[in-house]
Amino acid sequence: MDLTPNAAPVRRRRRGRTVVLSTVVVAVLGVVVVRGLGDATLYFHNVDEAVARRDALSDDRFRLQGSVVDGTVDRVGETTTFEVTYNGVQATVRHRGEIPKMFAPGIPVVLEGRWSDDGFRSDRMLVKHSEVYVAENPERTTGYGETTPTS
Amino acid sequence: MTITGTGSRATRALGVLTLALFALLALLGLVLSPPDAAMGEAVRLFYVHVPAALASYAGIAVLGFGSVMYLWKRSLTWDLLAAAAAEIALVFTALTLVTGSLWGRPTWGTYWEWDPRLTATAVLFLLLLGHVAVRAAGGDVHGRARRSAVVGLLATVDVPIVRYSVDWWRSLHQPATLSKLDPTIDGLMLFSAFVGIVAFMAAFTWFLLHRFRVAWLEEQVEELSLADAIVERRAEGGRS
Repeated sequence: MDLTPNAAPVRRRRRGRTVVLSTVVVAVLGVVVVRGLGDATLYFHNVDEAVARRDALSDDRFRLQGSVVDGTVDRVGETTTFEVTYNGVQATVRHRGEIPKMFAPGIPVVLEGRWSDDGFRSDRMLVKHSEVYVAENPERTTGYGETTPTS
Repeated sequence: MTITGTGSRATRALGVLTLALFALLALLGLVLSPPDAAMGEAVRLFYVHVPAALASYAGIAVLGFGSVMYLWKRSLTWDLLAAAAAEIALVFTALTLVTGSLWGRPTWGTYWEWDPRLTATAVLFLLLLGHVAVRAAGGDVHGRARRSAVVGLLATVDVPIVRYSVDWWRSLHQPATLSKLDPTIDGLMLFSAFVGIVAFMAAFTWFLLHRFRVAWLEEQVEELSLADAIVERRAEGGRS
């Protein structure tokens, strides 16, 4: 008596269905994640948008991104005041809290806080590094006299 | 035939090459390459962080390929390849997260931030961990292979999200440097990064070959013991 189950054709159909189904699920998931996250992940507002939407943001806590304007950094006690700029729009920041080591004029920063009457009050600062890596060049200062052609 | 290890002449040569590349990378990364104008010595983390991330992508590419091939061909060899790649990708993803975290503190000012790239990478790590967990759950080998192939495909889908998150969305993480047509990086830094990538890819290939061979041998042992059990059962049947 042959008791071998004659299941080969069923398995084949099920296999095809699994492949199609998992491909569809993966594709849909990919689209949902990409499109959904695209709207949800507004990680920060740039200065120009934050200024334009100042009323709508009212006293919501959000992240502000802009470059530190040269010559505006002023430290009084625990508060550091400076201007940030993005897309030609400037805003005043009053920051109380830790300041990352890389903080410097011209560098882009991300600040967490809210609008107030005297500007953006932040209590958390992160430095946003660019994708540019430049070697520190000690020769530029030490060897300056030798390499600069004298006219 | 007695098998005493998973090494062969080719993997031994690859191992020696890998170690030599890491020695060269240490020399370039720690001694010869210059500090960065903005971030100083912390830039040296570039030479392990970026290569580790690329090695994890390579691992997940093999995982995705193995998963698709298993679902198509239903051959356990593909399943074993995918499983070996997933484990190694998990290690490299963990290394990417750790080196990135250590780099983030002196540069950004934080160990962790829920920005799009970091979040997507954390998801990737969890999916790979899930893959290992699904395999540990046991059960019928083909059922296990099917379930882990689905998790493997989910991890594969996450890779382009991680890769392009910095271009699609606003992110604290800086965009890609090396894939730009004219990479904005100092010459010796670029060369160090290049050596780092070659070294990590060599290490990945080396680990993958060994891990796959171990998985394959485990499979052989299981099949042998299954065959023995069947023979024993038949013998019992003959006696009764």
